[in-house]
Amino acid sequence: MELLIKNGVVYDPLNEICGEKMDICVKDDKIVSKVKSPKVIDADGKLVMPGGVDIHAHIAGGKINAGRLLRPEDGRKGTEPRGKLTRACTGYSVPNTYATGYRYAKMGYTFVMEPATPPLLARHTHEELIDTPILDNAILALLDNNWMTMEYVKSGETKKLAAYVAWMIKAVKAYGVKIVNPGGDEAWGWGKNVNIDDSVPNFDVTPRDIIGSLAEANEMLNLPHSIHIHCNDLGHPGNYETTLKSFDVIKGRSNKNRQVMHATHVQFHSYGGSSWKDFESKVDEIAKYVNVKKHVTIDMGQVMLGDTTTMTADGPLEYGLHTITGRKWTNLDVELETGGGITPFLYSSKVAVNTIQWAIGLELALLIKDPWKIVLTTDHPNGAPFITYPIVISLLMSRQKREEVMANVHKAINKRAILPSIERELDWNDIAIMTRAAPARILGLDRYGKGHLGVGADADVAIYDVSPEEKEAKKIQSALLRAKYTIKGGEIVVKDGEIVAVPEGRTYWVNPEFDGKPTKDMLGDLTGKFEKYYSVNLANYPVQDAYLPHPIEIKTKV
Amino acid sequence: MQVTLTPKKAFKVPVEAEAIKPDNFAGKGKSEIESIALWHGNKEVKLGSLFDVKVEGVDKEGAKIVIEGDASRIKRIGEGMTSGEITINGNVDMHCGAMMSGGKVIVKGDADAWAGREMRGGELVVEGNAGNYLGAGYWGVEKGMRGGVIRVKGDAGDYVGGHMGGGEIIVKGSAGLLPGLNMSGGKIIIEGDVTLPGGEMKNGMIVIKGKVLEMLPSFRFEGTEIIDSLKLKKFTGDLTRGGSGTLYVNIIPEE
Amino acid sequence: MTITDVLCPFCGALCDDVVVEVENNKIVEVKEACEMGVSKMMGHERITTPMIRESGELKETTYEDAVDKTAEILVNSIRPLIYGWSSTTCEAHKKGIELAEEMGAVIDNTASVCHGPSILAIQNVGLPSCTLGQIKNRADLIIYWGSNQAEAHPRHMSRYTSFPRGFFSEEGRKGKKVVVVDVRKTTTVEVADEFIQVAPGEDYPVLSALRAILAGEEDIVPSCVGGVSKERLIELVEKMKDARFGVIFFGLGLTHTRGRHNNVVNAISLVRELNAHTKFVIMPMRGHYNVTGFNQVCTWETGFPFAVDFSRGQPWYNPGETSAVDILNRKECDSALIVASDPAAHFPRKSVEHLAKIPLIQIDPYPNPTMELADVVIPSAIAGVEVEGTAYRMDKVPIRLRKVIEPNHLSDEEILGRILDKVRERRGE
Ligand code: SF4
Repeated sequence: MELLIKNGVVYDPLNEICGEKMDICVKDDKIVSKVKSPKVIDADGKLVMPGGVDIHAHIAGGKINAGRLLRPEDGRKGTEPRGKLTRACTGYSVPNTYATGYRYAKMGYTFVMEPATPPLLARHTHEELIDTPILDNAILALLDNNWMTMEYVKSGETKKLAAYVAWMIKAVKAYGVKIVNPGGDEAWGWGKNVNIDDSVPNFDVTPRDIIGSLAEANEMLNLPHSIHIHCNDLGHPGNYETTLKSFDVIKGRSNKNRQVMHATHVQFHSYGGSSWKDFESKVDEIAKYVNVKKHVTIDMGQVMLGDTTTMTADGPLEYGLHTITGRKWTNLDVELETGGGITPFLYSSKVAVNTIQWAIGLELALLIKDPWKIVLTTDHPNGAPFITYPIVISLLMSRQKREEVMANVHKAINKRAILPSIERELDWNDIAIMTRAAPARILGLDRYGKGHLGVGADADVAIYDVSPEEKEAKKIQSALLRAKYTIKGGEIVVKDGEIVAVPEGRTYWVNPEFDGKPTKDMLGDLTGKFEKYYSVNLANYPVQDAYLPHPIEIKTKV
Repeated sequence: MQVTLTPKKAFKVPVEAEAIKPDNFAGKGKSEIESIALWHGNKEVKLGSLFDVKVEGVDKEGAKIVIEGDASRIKRIGEGMTSGEITINGNVDMHCGAMMSGGKVIVKGDADAWAGREMRGGELVVEGNAGNYLGAGYWGVEKGMRGGVIRVKGDAGDYVGGHMGGGEIIVKGSAGLLPGLNMSGGKIIIEGDVTLPGGEMKNGMIVIKGKVLEMLPSFRFEGTEIIDSLKLKKFTGDLTRGGSGTLYVNIIPEE
Repeated sequence: MTITDVLCPFCGALCDDVVVEVENNKIVEVKEACEMGVSKMMGHERITTPMIRESGELKETTYEDAVDKTAEILVNSIRPLIYGWSSTTCEAHKKGIELAEEMGAVIDNTASVCHGPSILAIQNVGLPSCTLGQIKNRADLIIYWGSNQAEAHPRHMSRYTSFPRGFFSEEGRKGKKVVVVDVRKTTTVEVADEFIQVAPGEDYPVLSALRAILAGEEDIVPSCVGGVSKERLIELVEKMKDARFGVIFFGLGLTHTRGRHNNVVNAISLVRELNAHTKFVIMPMRGHYNVTGFNQVCTWETGFPFAVDFSRGQPWYNPGETSAVDILNRKECDSALIVASDPAAHFPRKSVEHLAKIPLIQIDPYPNPTMELADVVIPSAIAGVEVEGTAYRMDKVPIRLRKVIEPNHLSDEEILGRILDKVRERRGE
């Protein structure tokens, strides 16, 4: 099967193509330099970009499913009947797996990272990914509150820690290491929490130690992605200091291909003030840091005003949020590993704090000068459902659009946010970087054919029916919400905003090679943990091959 | 304009008929009304294949719909209606008048469960009995009914006005278990007997003029007051979670 | 041959440490499992061949004819009900949901007659919970409320709760308090430290009283609530607050007595509020080994956990209306397909009467009362013994069921797949 995408205005930042009128050739599932007898897609005057790459969206697994279960009132929003090709869809902030696949594909996205899987529940995440059509995917495994991790951090046995990380990633078929409120979930096992320099109860390590050691192990294993961290102290006034301290833990490290720390949904971590009353944006401080340092990249975690469902592995955070709103709350602590919580949340334009949160996400994207360092996310569904990306993009591209919103929200935005003073408007190249090229590079997926349109890349392409000169936010939004074409693995999956094919997605996982004595010793310790403390047997723990019908294995060597 | 619908037969499998509402009928002629789509089980069918339709007058607004015969297997009549009037000369199935925001529905017989669910405005009158979840919310919603009035001449089932946030429900007869559950606003008046009123109540008012067969242990007695010329005991609660709802009761069991 | 780390496909405790001895494709010994588990795995009478009822008698037939007859029945009905699912794999659930969607059917699982109310309660207030290992390692106060798990989940206490020594509970049983709240002295009481007897149907007010006491409003609580003295209630609240890590497990004694899902709302709310004082969690004692799995799969595939009505293409979820018992009681459905469960034995009489009247298809490994009413009977292989696949333990931990012997029958998933193909064929798709 061959395709020729003719005369599109191409943005392919990884290949330094910035709005050039050119053709893209596809043969089977790859981009090629020439085609013989292709089906021609006329892209004259339309935007052509690599398929979107979402670096962080809670789309599959125990938490999102607990969110769906918690919110039938959200489930009944946006229901669509079964179509000829498509399964029935439900949900807005907690869409069913089918809606997730179709809606992303319609927006031109072709890869999504599920960013927070408790290893014990990884089988569940993979089961949902099987039922999430079209999208290529991968999962990050939570490895920071694990008893094994903390014990090795305490004893300083980094090699054994690396052996543990390698074993776990392989066992649960994950792509990388996720850190969520390090030490905080173990403390939450007793209803407590910790900050970066507090000692984790009973384990005698600090979150700082955990971050440093996991980064070291991650680099030792040469994983394609860096550690991916949700810092301590999320969502609290004044937490920007914790955020900067967290960034600083590994400031001396580097990697020639990429950052050594990706900090996620930094919007939730850029707060000043000492209480909700003097809550304010500290994006200036965060941007100052990120602008000069090379070791850290971030994603936005943009908030959009409206109702959504919050869900994170940060157990104490979700409980705290629930005590503020009084709304329903689900908690799921996972033995020896992690925690998690879910509660609905309304970001209201009438509430000062919510309005400032909305501004902070945009400020991050606008004050960080290098778009390669900041990825567009809403931390779906925490800041907003992913379906709002087109609106976020239109806000980043249009100062006028931002001003329209600012005119109708709580006035605190004028005093305690920076946004009103920012004139910068992003262009399509910036957007292409923030939604495809940068996330692919940060994840290390650019080396495996994602996020670009160079010869040999995966034939994942989005074509939007909008002129690069278009300034009107509404037109930008509708073009981005319903791609003219989405091509996934060389197959046209969306045409004129409708699903026309439903291939199954592939799951990327990393098989880190790390053998020898540390592994042997680690396995001894691990066996002990299973015999004494886990509630399942070690033999039943690793995710079987049956759960990855379309695996892409990436081998790494020390 | 008045449209009279007579079911052609007694349905075994229920018909789903939220399309039967004045908003949808106004200004339409007989054949147009007959071609309105309804659901019968998993089949989409034309209204005209299930009902005999008689149309008198044509107005753009304020259509009146009369349903003759047995509607006890017709769900969702008047769901989401904003204006006009529906009279059902018999019993009606679930979700009658659910989510209505205006107009009036009169059920001459009994209404099955979820009548007036999540109502926003308008009036729903049930001359017979009402089933469970009268004027209640949908699963998972924090506020169910927010406005309008529901009057029941007979009895009502369990969970009257669950998650009610506004509006008024008046039941002339008795009601079942836990009326006013999770209520945060509005008013429920029950003239007969009930069991365990006001569970999880945060705000709003419940008046029980008959007997409370069992009281919750988490309400605070505040004294007596005269309401509608009855001397009633006033309680606040539900204090399980610091609620400040008001519960007026007449006769309660001795401790 | 000895096979280790086998999962027991019986109750929601989903023990995964069973050892099975197999000789000549026959299980000759089952070790580690409880009696119930052993009996399930050792096997008992099976349906040997597909059957179709003709003039009142079940007559042996082929899979092909039985599947074709099933498709004919389903295609000719306008409100089919597809029900069961709790004793089969998630892979079968997926096929069942696809069939329901394709058919415009109502699909429901046995939660509808066990912990459906718990799910409705969760949708109201959430569920502060955890995995069972968390309880094993940390809990020092364990409360069983309306649940006789000594009989229903015999190894629950020895594997996960009262007895095991955990990381923070090295003393095992000695360091833990076990309280039973129930309407009668169950066998669980024998191994508990304390028993609180609640009058039948009085759980809701008792829970309200506990919450009022916890909220500092003890002065308004009457001297006796639901048969329990105020002193006793105050004591219990103190005990809960003093725990380092407390847990309430609840069963049908809470979900199927007066107040139903609202009892559970009240219990969950109590636990939620206890978290202001200490760590507290709550968990439903799910019965069948994969009842939780169906709710999981149904939730991610349809957005809703059970009782999903596809008759209009998009899902409509409304337990009380779209749940199997209600649909049968109201005589709404005009055919039913039952998979891996036995409604004729467990449903109210009125429901069973309607089941007897409509075309009924049963897919199951075992003969049971539902078979007596069925028009088409399709035998299936036993999931977890003859078929591998996913199951979710009561705490939502997914584990893969093992296959220990070769089946002589098709799996539920295969049978449903064939039905789906036949349905499509009949509708000319
Ligand atoms: S407790 Fe349940 S799962 Fe465990 S062996 Fe007994 S029946 Fe099987």
